[in-house]
Amino acid sequence: MSEVTLYHWEPNANSGKPMLALMEKGVPFDSHYLDLLNFDQHKPDYLSINPQGTIPAMKHGNLVLTESTAMMEYVDETFPGPKLMPDDPLDRWRIRWWMKFMDQWLAPSFSMIGWKVFVGPAVQSKDPEELKAAIERIPLPERRVAWRKAIYGLFAEDEMKESQRRVAVGIRMLEEALSKRAWLASNQYSLADANGFNLAYALPLSQPSLSNDELTPNILRWLRAIYARPATKACWALGRTSMVKRVTILEQPHIGREHVA
Amino acid sequence: MSMTLYHGEPNGPSFTVLAALFEKGIQAELVRIGLAEGARHELSCAQQAEVAMSVEGEGPVLVVGGEAMADSVFIACYLDDVGPGAPLRPANPYARWETMSWCRQMIERTAPAAALLGCHAHPPKPSPALLAKIGSVDLRARWEMIGAGVFAEDKLADSKAKVAAAVEKIEAKLAGRDWLMGEFSIADLESYAWLAGMVKVVPEGFAGKRLTVSWMERLRGRPAVRKVLALARVADPAAYWAPGPEINRWG
Repeated sequence: MSEVTLYHWEPNANSGKPMLALMEKGVPFDSHYLDLLNFDQHKPDYLSINPQGTIPAMKHGNLVLTESTAMMEYVDETFPGPKLMPDDPLDRWRIRWWMKFMDQWLAPSFSMIGWKVFVGPAVQSKDPEELKAAIERIPLPERRVAWRKAIYGLFAEDEMKESQRRVAVGIRMLEEALSKRAWLASNQYSLADANGFNLAYALPLSQPSLSNDELTPNILRWLRAIYARPATKACWALGRTSMVKRVTILEQPHIGREHVA
Repeated sequence: MSMTLYHGEPNGPSFTVLAALFEKGIQAELVRIGLAEGARHELSCAQQAEVAMSVEGEGPVLVVGGEAMADSVFIACYLDDVGPGAPLRPANPYARWETMSWCRQMIERTAPAAALLGCHAHPPKPSPALLAKIGSVDLRARWEMIGAGVFAEDKLADSKAKVAAAVEKIEAKLAGRDWLMGEFSIADLESYAWLAGMVKVVPEGFAGKRLTVSWMERLRGRPAVRKVLALARVADPAAYWAPGPEINRWG
């Protein structure tokens, strides 16, 4: 039994952030997979670990940690292995700025699209009564609203349009930042890159008209460089859904405009 | 390295950064700008991505060696790293995690609620010429809604509930201790920054919260904080508001 247990879903978004950080540091951990599509995260076993019912959560000995980005900083500070935060305080500020920007501004827009396209359809075929009970068990009111929208397809046209606008702005910002330096927020691989990859790994598939080798060469270079890292390969190998298998698009040497369907 | 801090009245994010600066004993050129008039958007660094797209909304900007930094908690972390004064984050990694998680919840849940209620009670008066320069479409939309006096009742009610929930959390945390994380930290500054102005706006949230009220007094008594509050040019800096972070649009 490892000293660390990680409760997570797929290597994707918030779950993938500490998974990737632990693997980059070479920290062994017991993987406790929670099937988000089966509402495992709202069942009593897990609520006894994290009463908010959000994924991921991490146990280190007797300590319990939530909030994936703060958790990544803890992993970096606590365990030996390559440093994922540079020494320069200005770099550290920039890394935190980008993580917050992605967590709070850009990722929710990607997530809204992902929940409409993937999560909603994946659970809609379940028994309606079971779904109703599943929604009622969700501890956080904000998450109840989100699940209701996904399950019943209640996304308003203007909120989807706003999400798509933000995704386009975010892609331009990522491309600009990555044209200035090798990695997103500093000259060395950092937590910002691990965070960003979880957001953007399938970008050339999900947003083919906005991100490809011609339009965003720096984003594609960056995604391929992260995908080439052994930790990333090991992390994405833990994925079980077709959603995360989309990462293999990055094995293509060139993803051009012709990729647009 | 020379530093310039562009800040507003000592409330909200400007409070956090000014207090961190003085607590750490760092010398910086202080330049007051009218955040509630939209004056940040006429700075030469206004269009830099990290300023224009700061999730915090209208917050202060620290310029160090040509790099413009926004987002008050992370500026405070930077100042903590570089300044000589006593640490503003615990040394133990788990306590540091708790500090950053606490601030994250404050940033994500309390700050948008407080900024909305603050702007409702004390509307900022923007200059139309400056608003035209805003780089972020959604920040401009928040200014326009506030300018037009459009405040949805359900959002105001939800914001009051969020402020009250934050005070409950603070009251519980302060049992048997003077400061939120045990030692004085950025969590105290950031929590006070958003809640000081809520005492009059959501009085029911503070009723009977003795520990929270005395924590606020204790914080105001710190020499660095007194120095910050002495910078105010308005009678009540806690009544000075500009658009803050947006209310979470997706779960």
